[in-house]
Amino acid sequence: MNRAGPNPVPPAPLIDTDSAGFWEATRHGRIVLCRCSDCGVWLARPLELCNRCEGPTSFTDVTGSGTIYSFIVVHHGSVPAFAAFVPYVLALVEFDEGPRLPGILLDEYGPGVAIGQRVQAELAQFTETELRAVVYRRIDDGEQPAVADA
Amino acid sequence: MDTREAALVGIGRTPFSMSSGRTPLAMAAEAARAALRDAGLQPDEVDGVIDFHTNDSAPAADVARAIGAFDLGLAMDVHGGGNIAVTVVGQAFAAVQAGVCEVAVVFRSLQGRSGNRYGRGERPALPMRGEMQFAALNGFVVPPMWIAMFAQRHKHVYGTRDEDFGQIAITTRKHAAANPHAMQRQVIDMDDYLSARWICEPFRLYDCCLETDGAVALVVTTLERARSLRHAPIRIVGFGEAHTHGGSWTNFPDLSEMYSAYASKRLWASTGLRPADMDVACMYDCFTGTVMATVEDFGLCPKGEVGAFFREGRATYGGDVVVNPHGGLLSEGYLHGLNHHYEAVLQLRGDAGGRQVPDARHALVTAGAGPAGGALIYEASR
Repeated sequence: MNRAGPNPVPPAPLIDTDSAGFWEATRHGRIVLCRCSDCGVWLARPLELCNRCEGPTSFTDVTGSGTIYSFIVVHHGSVPAFAAFVPYVLALVEFDEGPRLPGILLDEYGPGVAIGQRVQAELAQFTETELRAVVYRRIDDGEQPAVADA
Repeated sequence: MDTREAALVGIGRTPFSMSSGRTPLAMAAEAARAALRDAGLQPDEVDGVIDFHTNDSAPAADVARAIGAFDLGLAMDVHGGGNIAVTVVGQAFAAVQAGVCEVAVVFRSLQGRSGNRYGRGERPALPMRGEMQFAALNGFVVPPMWIAMFAQRHKHVYGTRDEDFGQIAITTRKHAAANPHAMQRQVIDMDDYLSARWICEPFRLYDCCLETDGAVALVVTTLERARSLRHAPIRIVGFGEAHTHGGSWTNFPDLSEMYSAYASKRLWASTGLRPADMDVACMYDCFTGTVMATVEDFGLCPKGEVGAFFREGRATYGGDVVVNPHGGLLSEGYLHGLNHHYEAVLQLRGDAGGRQVPDARHALVTAGAGPAGGALIYEASR
């Protein structure tokens, strides 16, 4: 999804002390998720302390590999920043580390996309801000689940 | 404080429209006055007000002032969506039972169409903090997207077909046709459903509810007092909420089910009744996909079989239970679920006119979608 010229911007994330490390990492091109430094559990949403063992947490690099857990094809331009791009695919991706994050599946508009397909996460800059969004690209691992018959 | 029993004794509402031209305060006051008149109580007898909102309504104490009630023992503004539409009623009953207040008004008022539209992404209903900050930049910020993600998973796990979603929309609209208060009364068939435009797959136009301006109010007081009021009291005989997984739309463990898989356990453990005892089910239906998951999770039919449940007529008159006889949020209007309570009371009083469910004695009312919500069972006094 490429942009040319000024566009309406998506809603701004409200970044706080707990989540700042995630956004700071994206400025350096890294995708990180919150992880307990003691028990190793990955936390889908950042926490100051682990919700299992109360251990300290830190932001840790993920592989960026994941699987499509679910997806939708957006046809109605509800969100002005993306209205010009309909139809496009929003995927809910389960990272190999466990947590799920939603993101646009680049260069797809619906046909051929299926739950279970493998994707690779990358960072994309949709706005004039410095913030980058986690987005996905399908990867061909030779064992892609078939699309169900219509 | 002695615990005492409580009952729902009054219902009120404004017209539902796309452009009210009125403030949420004015609409809330009209609905509250109507509910008090319906009960046979005076506005200055109100000493408790509870509402829910997403920064789009009027405060409880201000609505009280607007109707002439100046001294409240309880004023509670709960921030939240449809998942709160059972919570507020439960809390009003609990407050009356505990003696915190004597006459409680519960309301929801919003300019859902002419004001802040939940379906639009310019000003999302939820703040972009917490989980939403990771959805914001991708524009994953409006409810049809969140619930469609659940619906896609239901299709994947249970082989649910587009026509199964369609049956829910068609049945609901058919019910609304007999409801003069409904925003949309034009019946639709499967061709209409399937040929309507996509919103976000797997949802088409008729899978989505109607953003609406309006207000609904309910009045709760003690059972003792209720016995001398205008209508036979309505009691709550089953209750269960579930606010799970920190409210996560994306990391809820299994998107083929919803909060209802959890709340269902509490609900049925709280009562001697069973799903088969329900005559009416006012199921929270922001989208067809919500009805799909919650009808199954609450045990009205086995998991994965909701398509057949609607297709075979088990969700309408002459079937197992009449689901959303008023047309629900899909066709009556999106009053954020409080209109489901209004309908349940009409049905249990026998006052639902041309859409009356014969001998309705028990009504299930659910609220919410995704990770959080609840349900209660109302019982008629006959």
